[in-house]
Amino acid sequence: MLKAFTGISLGLGIACAVAAPAGAQLLTHKDLSVATATTIAMTAIETCKTQGYNVSANVLGREGQVVVAIRNPAAGFATFENSMKKAYTARATRAPSGKFADTVKGNPNAPQFFLSNYVAAQGALPIMVGNDVIGAVGISGAPGGDKDEACAKAGLDKVAAQLK
Amino acid sequence: MKNIVTIGGLALAGLIAGSANAQLVAHKDLSVTTAVTIAQTAVQTCKSQGYNVSAHVLGRAGEVLVAMRGDDTGPQTYENSFKKAWTSRAQRAPSLNFANAVKANPTVGAIHLSNMVPAQGGLPIMVGDDAIGAVGVSGAPGGDKDEACAKAGLDKVAADLK
Repeated sequence: MLKAFTGISLGLGIACAVAAPAGAQLLTHKDLSVATATTIAMTAIETCKTQGYNVSANVLGREGQVVVAIRNPAAGFATFENSMKKAYTARATRAPSGKFADTVKGNPNAPQFFLSNYVAAQGALPIMVGNDVIGAVGISGAPGGDKDEACAKAGLDKVAAQLK
Repeated sequence: MKNIVTIGGLALAGLIAGSANAQLVAHKDLSVTTAVTIAQTAVQTCKSQGYNVSAHVLGRAGEVLVAMRGDDTGPQTYENSFKKAWTSRAQRAPSLNFANAVKANPTVGAIHLSNMVPAQGGLPIMVGDDAIGAVGVSGAPGGDKDEACAKAGLDKVAADLK
């Protein structure tokens, strides 16, 4: 009887002890849906268009993967790559890519500058849910990174209610 | 007489100008809004049928115009939708045609190119007889279902494709 009792309680106890930490070791994430990502990208492109600028846009996810990439054939062909790299930079540094541009201005040998997908150019913003960076949006094509960034911001503002 | 020579010169100039223009190729190409509408309609159509898919819309030179990674899709659907579109653009035909060609001849030459895939789900984007791009969809349980969503995307913009 005692043996059975001990066996059951010990066994259950161990099972629970194992199960609980295992569950706690999984991470709970919120990530962009393709619909939200497309709204961000298209709002940015359309906002720039109303201001007279043709731009391309990239929205990257948590791991820097492309969620939506949009080449604007009316923009220069380098804008497609550049919008991706700006977004990658914003995601990696969890900050506007303009901040990295400032860093490189202060230190042209900043080591990240030698990674493939970093670019020292304004025009991308991280996509935040609270303090968690779930992705980034990058814009390229307007005459000035500040104008690219303003369109990126318009894209984020459009979905602000969803980013929580 | 001199006047006639002058007129002759004008005619010659006109002829040369005509030839020079004839050596440039006039194209119609997808706009960003049309391309995004095709991709988004394809993704949403499949979603409404219960399938999460990724989609690619390529332009005339096979360049990516729109790349869309669907919610909760496997990472391979992103690559595969690109390749289905590439195959359609390259052959100016549904990627199903290439799937059938490979079934008949598994060593058909084009299978050795990097971006060709013998899988249904890609359709060329036509303006008359001109293939101006392609749309590829991947993620539904069956290439026929992928292709139906690609078709829905094209149907949505049919009026713009001329």
